[in-house]
Amino acid sequence: MATIGEEEKISHRALKRVVRNPLTYWSLAPLMEIVNLREQSRAYKIWVRYLIWMMRSACSKRKKVIWMSAFTPVELAYAVGAIPILPEIIAALVSYLGWAPPFISIGNSMMSTDVCSFYRCALGLAVEGYLPRPDLIVSSSHLCDGANKFFSYLSQRYACSHLLLDPPYDTGPEAHGYVTDQLRYLLAHMVDLMAVSLSEEELCKVVGLSNTMRKYMVRINRLRMAIPAPFPGSEGLSYLAGMGFCSPGSTWGVRFSAILARELEDRVAKKRGYLDNERYRVLWLHHIRPYYQNDIFQFLSSQGVSVCFEEANYMYWPPFDPTKPLDSLAHKILSNVWAGPLERRLGAVKEMVNNYRVNGVIHFSHWGCRQSCGGASIIGDFLKDQGVPYMILYGDGADPDNYFPGQTRTRLQAFVEMLG
Amino acid sequence: MQHNKIDAGIDVGSLSAEAVLLSDGGIVAYAIRRTGANPLRAAESCLQEALDKAERSRSDVRHIVATGYGRLRVPFAHREVTEITCHARGAHYLFPKTRTVVDIGGQDSKVITLNSRGEVTDFVMNDRCAAGTGRFLEVMADALETELSQLGDLSVEAKRGVSISSMCTVFAESEVISLIADGLEKKDIIRGVHESIARRIFRMTKRLRIRREITFTGGVAKNKGMVAVLERLFKTKLNIPQEPQVVGALGAALLAREMTRQAP
Repeated sequence: MATIGEEEKISHRALKRVVRNPLTYWSLAPLMEIVNLREQSRAYKIWVRYLIWMMRSACSKRKKVIWMSAFTPVELAYAVGAIPILPEIIAALVSYLGWAPPFISIGNSMMSTDVCSFYRCALGLAVEGYLPRPDLIVSSSHLCDGANKFFSYLSQRYACSHLLLDPPYDTGPEAHGYVTDQLRYLLAHMVDLMAVSLSEEELCKVVGLSNTMRKYMVRINRLRMAIPAPFPGSEGLSYLAGMGFCSPGSTWGVRFSAILARELEDRVAKKRGYLDNERYRVLWLHHIRPYYQNDIFQFLSSQGVSVCFEEANYMYWPPFDPTKPLDSLAHKILSNVWAGPLERRLGAVKEMVNNYRVNGVIHFSHWGCRQSCGGASIIGDFLKDQGVPYMILYGDGADPDNYFPGQTRTRLQAFVEMLG
Repeated sequence: MQHNKIDAGIDVGSLSAEAVLLSDGGIVAYAIRRTGANPLRAAESCLQEALDKAERSRSDVRHIVATGYGRLRVPFAHREVTEITCHARGAHYLFPKTRTVVDIGGQDSKVITLNSRGEVTDFVMNDRCAAGTGRFLEVMADALETELSQLGDLSVEAKRGVSISSMCTVFAESEVISLIADGLEKKDIIRGVHESIARRIFRMTKRLRIRREITFTGGVAKNKGMVAVLERLFKTKLNIPQEPQVVGALGAALLAREMTRQAP
């Protein structure tokens, strides 16, 4: 008879086999259509199909797999015909499904518990072998400070190369040239290390697709300015942001954003808000929200508070010039408002507050996220000067053990009372 | 005898429950009880005690507003409002020039800023642990084998405050026991405990735009030692209500009265 530890190992082994078997995803696709997706919007269906396609392609080894950090331009992976796997996004999905705690526990045994829980969860997933094996790892040093050590460790564990993009703080022409050169170097090494081919034409095509997605995203964001809010921020922070991270440069991204734009056009034309009784509009700051089971958004909805927009989907970069693909991607990286001087982010926040005509702002301050915690108070001072009610909501995006429903509810309710 | 109708506020906190009855003329009666394990029973008995004191019955009560951590467990309340809004309202009623409220309750502490109408403009609360709360003081009183009610007087008598470096209630308890074992003066340790809580509260206020007057509410405001160290840190005299423990319930009663006035 197997002991408790052995039973756990056996079930882990069986589950891993299922997760990494491409046949799982072949059978999952039609099953999802019948069971899960019938009631969902078309855009959401594309997100699920995209995830299934991503896992199927990666597990079947029909394409090379590149693990990338969340802010590395995934266009590079699509340009060389590879599948980008973003472990942080997978960690968010795992948290959403309620499976994060055991993986976070594994991550806790290897990393400081002060590190972002998405990385600790992703580390647990990676070392347990739940993620498709990488052929290459590419990460960027901007924003998430845990990324490089996390990926560096995994590159040693999986014995594969780790390429690092290192955008500077400054944004002038010198910085631009520096990042463009890095991208050129990166692409050349990606081609070399994975023994794949890359044509200038393909690169331009991928950047063109990313640009088309951007165009639709701009339209989506404009449509979301409507009152009542046509699209819930909770979804903006889940699959919309997920596609924003994973799909630029793919046809998936273009299809998804085009369809969502059409869906929103229809809702706005019919003046259909996602809430029946929108009393107040709130802007959500930070790229993430708690993904595990929680009642934050249900509570806000019950009070007639719409989360009408989230900075995760703010389009900060200028349109691409598809004839200058690397130059364009360097622009995208360097115009990231969450990196570099805080004044840029303040400008973006001000723009969003005005455009979305919000009554208040909630800044989700995720445990372990230096980028969000560092700026939260200064943003608060800035907004208070403008007379905009503001609240920092301390929490954790991935780890349900750091969620305190009573305390969270009291803070949210007091904030809503403040709006009234 | 013909009575005017009244409104009621009930604050169900983690350690104590309070009820305040309010007529158009002002506070009619109040009651304070331990919450115990059953918030609903605490709310009911507390309200009943206040009604008994005022020689009124439940049928005299027009509206009831519940607040505090147990506010969702008071089904007979007409509305539930957070303690943040209620403390602001209550403090503003008692001291209309209040622009900041420091509330140290049993399980949480908060600092609230408000405008001239008593409306909340910003707030911060302690997170996740009991450091800087009434419960922290209770645990320290136990460790020092001293009555909770004596802590304030002993703190004021102390010559100096011993530095307590642990913020965690459990670790601080061990630290206090070690300090006793080292032969340090009990009064000085008590002052140190008060200073430790006050520093934590004062740090919280740095996230807000604090303005005078400052009103100190919650059960801990009855503690003279705590008042003294906070006044030193804030460099101002604090408003201390006659019964600081019922300010949340008073705010709830004021909101209940508003409901009555707005009712058709």
